[in-house]
Amino acid sequence: MLIERSAYANRWRQVSPAAKGSFALAGLIAAFAAGTPMVAAGVAAILVAVTLLGAGIALVSYLRVASPALAFLLLGSLSLAFSLGIDEHGLTLQWLPNGLNPLANVLSRSLAALAALLFLALTTPLPDLINLLRRLRTPEILLEIMVLCYRMLFVFSAAVQDTWIAQTARLGYATPRLALRSLAGLTANLTLQVWQRANDLHVAAQARNNEGPLRFLAPVFAHTGRDLAIAMVAGSSLLALAVAMS
Amino acid sequence: MTRSADHPLLELAQVCFRYPDGSRGLDDCSIAIRRGSRNALIGANGSGKTTLFQQCNGLLRPQSGGVYYAGEAVDYRRSGLRQLRSKVGMVFQNPDRQLFSASVLEDVSFGPLNLGLDIATARQRVSAALQAVGMAAFADKPVHNLSFGQKKRVCIAGVLAMEPELLILDEPMAGLDHAMQEDLLAVLENLYARGITLLLATHDIDFAYAWADRIHLMVAGRCSASLPAATLATAGDALSAAGLPLPGVIELQHRLAKLGVLPSDAWPRRIGDLLALLGTRQASGMPRLERRV
Repeated sequence: MLIERSAYANRWRQVSPAAKGSFALAGLIAAFAAGTPMVAAGVAAILVAVTLLGAGIALVSYLRVASPALAFLLLGSLSLAFSLGIDEHGLTLQWLPNGLNPLANVLSRSLAALAALLFLALTTPLPDLINLLRRLRTPEILLEIMVLCYRMLFVFSAAVQDTWIAQTARLGYATPRLALRSLAGLTANLTLQVWQRANDLHVAAQARNNEGPLRFLAPVFAHTGRDLAIAMVAGSSLLALAVAMS
Repeated sequence: MTRSADHPLLELAQVCFRYPDGSRGLDDCSIAIRRGSRNALIGANGSGKTTLFQQCNGLLRPQSGGVYYAGEAVDYRRSGLRQLRSKVGMVFQNPDRQLFSASVLEDVSFGPLNLGLDIATARQRVSAALQAVGMAAFADKPVHNLSFGQKKRVCIAGVLAMEPELLILDEPMAGLDHAMQEDLLAVLENLYARGITLLLATHDIDFAYAWADRIHLMVAGRCSASLPAATLATAGDALSAAGLPLPGVIELQHRLAKLGVLPSDAWPRRIGDLLALLGTRQASGMPRLERRV
């Protein structure tokens, strides 16, 4: 929900998604082009700075959105730091067998890639991204699934919330035993609702004369050309910087 | 082609429909909707209102009897249904069950694009429809951040953008607070003024009397009576057969007429009109009620 809120309420909401997408893509490539951990960390820092200062995302929200990914990244790196091997002494656990470098490399590149993706996710609402994917000729069926999943995410989170509150109000979660029972009830109820909702949407689509693919109008962005040019310049500078410094 | 102004815009003749699970939908139901009229369909829960609506839009097909649009029997082949659904728009009761897309603009554009309109025309229709329901400022807002009343208006815009001749609304006032009901009423009034025929389901006899030109009563899957709203005062029997009371304003007018305070031939439809009438009577020195302690 935090991602959602930032995506709709940032300074670059009206900037063309194609421009934001190209800049994010340039960031991703720069992350891989960076030769040393320091350069990759630099790319990450630039991307974070652009997101925070340019698009005006609050630092607190940024950290909260990034924290699960960061935790995952740290855990992954930690496992890289150790190496399990079998030699003449039997099973051994080695600490940093190849030095710090591979670890720093992976960590800094992942950070830069994460920063690039977060830049896109926090500045661009999903419907805009879907439209961008449509223009990039992504198969229609995938896009339809994305559209419906995205919409249903909110419908079902509201349904879960309502059911959960109704159960709690009748002491449904008072003891672990009851909680388990209530959770089962909630799941069963939601399954039925999924079924019904799917049918309702089908009927509603028919009522509006739908016979096949779901088609929608894409929003118009006023300065697509200008935005794209700026993004290209910024993206290639970032890339050039990453390559030059390595 | 036999289309003419003499035919009702939409007519159901002795339609019977039973759901696959055996529950009753419609039972020998006949109803006619005149072009350019405001129609209220009143009936208890389970009396078949929603089934009737789905018949009007070709979502359900009668098992016996017929559905006629502008005098012609509905053609249930693909092209015929396309034709019907582009003329008969339907707004469902729960907006969350109708809204597909997460963005207002996208959802409203769904119908026009299904009609096969080009992008420019669709865009123009979408903005006109959002304008008509007072939601133009919300075009690029996400649907899930809208209030219930706003979602409802987006639903109406989504159907309006298809420019239907007949707009069907399933309990449009349900779940709306007073102010939102007033807003919605203004929207409907605007559509009526543009010549769109309106048919809505409601439980509120007072609202139906104040708003509609014709009131259709549904009882047990059948349209038991279709009355001009202006004659409702004398239709107490039909109403009570459908389990409905007379509208409050009629009861009050009856009493006041009996007491000689109001003439018995004036039938204000709203409490406000009745009060205004009382005001003018008092000002012109007509008999007043004696204060009884």
